[in-house]
Amino acid sequence: MTVFLKSPSLLKHAVASTLAVFVLSACASKPPATDMEAVRAYEQNNDPLEPWNRSMMQIDQGLDTIFFNPVISVYQTVVPEPGRRGVTNAIRNFRTPITLANDIFQGEGSRASTTFSRFLINSTIGLFGLFDVAGRWGLPYHSEDLGQTLAVWGVGEGPYLYFPILGPSGGRDITGYAVDNLGIDAMAWVGRADNPFWWQVAYFGGLAIDAKSNAKSTLEELEASSIDYYAALRTAYRQNRAKEIRNGAPAPLPEFDDFDDEDGDPFSRLETETESAQTAALPK
Amino acid sequence: MMRAVLFSALLIMSGTQTNAADEAWKTDPTAFIHHFAQAGIDDILTADIDTVEKTARFRTLFNQGFDIPAISRFVIGRTWRRTSDSDKEAFIALFEDVIVYTWSRRFNEYTGQTIKVLGTSPDGKTGTLVDSVIVDDAGQTISAQWRLRQREEGLRIVDIIIEGVSMSITYRQDYASVIRQQGGMTGLLDLLGKQVVENAPS
Repeated sequence: MTVFLKSPSLLKHAVASTLAVFVLSACASKPPATDMEAVRAYEQNNDPLEPWNRSMMQIDQGLDTIFFNPVISVYQTVVPEPGRRGVTNAIRNFRTPITLANDIFQGEGSRASTTFSRFLINSTIGLFGLFDVAGRWGLPYHSEDLGQTLAVWGVGEGPYLYFPILGPSGGRDITGYAVDNLGIDAMAWVGRADNPFWWQVAYFGGLAIDAKSNAKSTLEELEASSIDYYAALRTAYRQNRAKEIRNGAPAPLPEFDDFDDEDGDPFSRLETETESAQTAALPK
Repeated sequence: MMRAVLFSALLIMSGTQTNAADEAWKTDPTAFIHHFAQAGIDDILTADIDTVEKTARFRTLFNQGFDIPAISRFVIGRTWRRTSDSDKEAFIALFEDVIVYTWSRRFNEYTGQTIKVLGTSPDGKTGTLVDSVIVDDAGQTISAQWRLRQREEGLRIVDIIIEGVSMSITYRQDYASVIRQQGGMTGLLDLLGKQVVENAPS
């Protein structure tokens, strides 16, 4: 996101093309009110820009094919797994301010203290974050971001959004991502000190390669097991985010038994409740 | 993550032939997980047999460990009641194939993960939720929860939730979208048939 702000022409171009697509009505057409099932599905998906999002996913997959996958393939060949874990550790350590700030925003004193201790230990004994020594000492890693903070504060997830390179997101999460990266991340401050545009391209490129490399086999598995990968990824993203927002606590399970209805319609009663229970944010 | 699903499912599902004397695992959720975990490693993941044989064993164990008809109803959702009996049967068979073949592709990537049961809690009227973590050789953990139901034949898994992502809900959303786009079950069955052909071991 910093990349865009440092380059006004890129930003203008992005805004203009986004608007153009909106004008060309990329919005999914809402089903007629008489078709109640369809309306319910439409609202539950909360994906009014679905056609636009699907094309963004295609662009993302195209970028993967022509750029990220070859790079990741070389990266995974040249750097063995322990080395790649070191890179991930170092990135997490460098981005500690984002997690720490959001621990504090959420009033999570003990998690903030864990985050801070981890930073001190891993930056020194862990050799600039390459080794997660603190994790082995009983201070496990967790991530926080402003999207999660906003959820804890009661902000709804907003419409589903898919971005090339970044992947699945939503109105709330992308807002949080922008503020985290432009306002809190150390690189944003380094960026203001007149450092070259290409540094930031390299930084965000590195983040993307690390993230995509870590997620690759999981996403390939999801793609192989699904028919509509877009729909499968959308729900998997939301369920996983809901878990992060709950700080790992188990999802509340519905009171009725949705696997025990022998007459074949376990869902007519409380269908939406099942999923909202699974995906709901539960501020503590 | 899906790989973790596979491994942990395999860890759990194997080997009803072992330890026939001790039947506690048929009704005790924690014993069920432990029983299948150990046997799964021995009979499939680390067994010295070829992939075809592993796939065949996995299919048997998948049927023994999971309530496939209940999961099928769940993943099809409200369309199930409008589906003909023959289409229901066809779906259950294809759905089993999809899971068996997509999971089988990863058999050789097992690197010594183990499963640790953290506790159990009630789930629905007759069910139990087993909370566990999968621990890899580097000590990294992945959260895995198992929704179990007591059936006449013994305990059966109806859902696996890995890092918050439910297998059953994910399939349900996937298939709901396909049914909507295809205008019904027939289109979904066609696409599942193609997916099975693509993923079947050659």
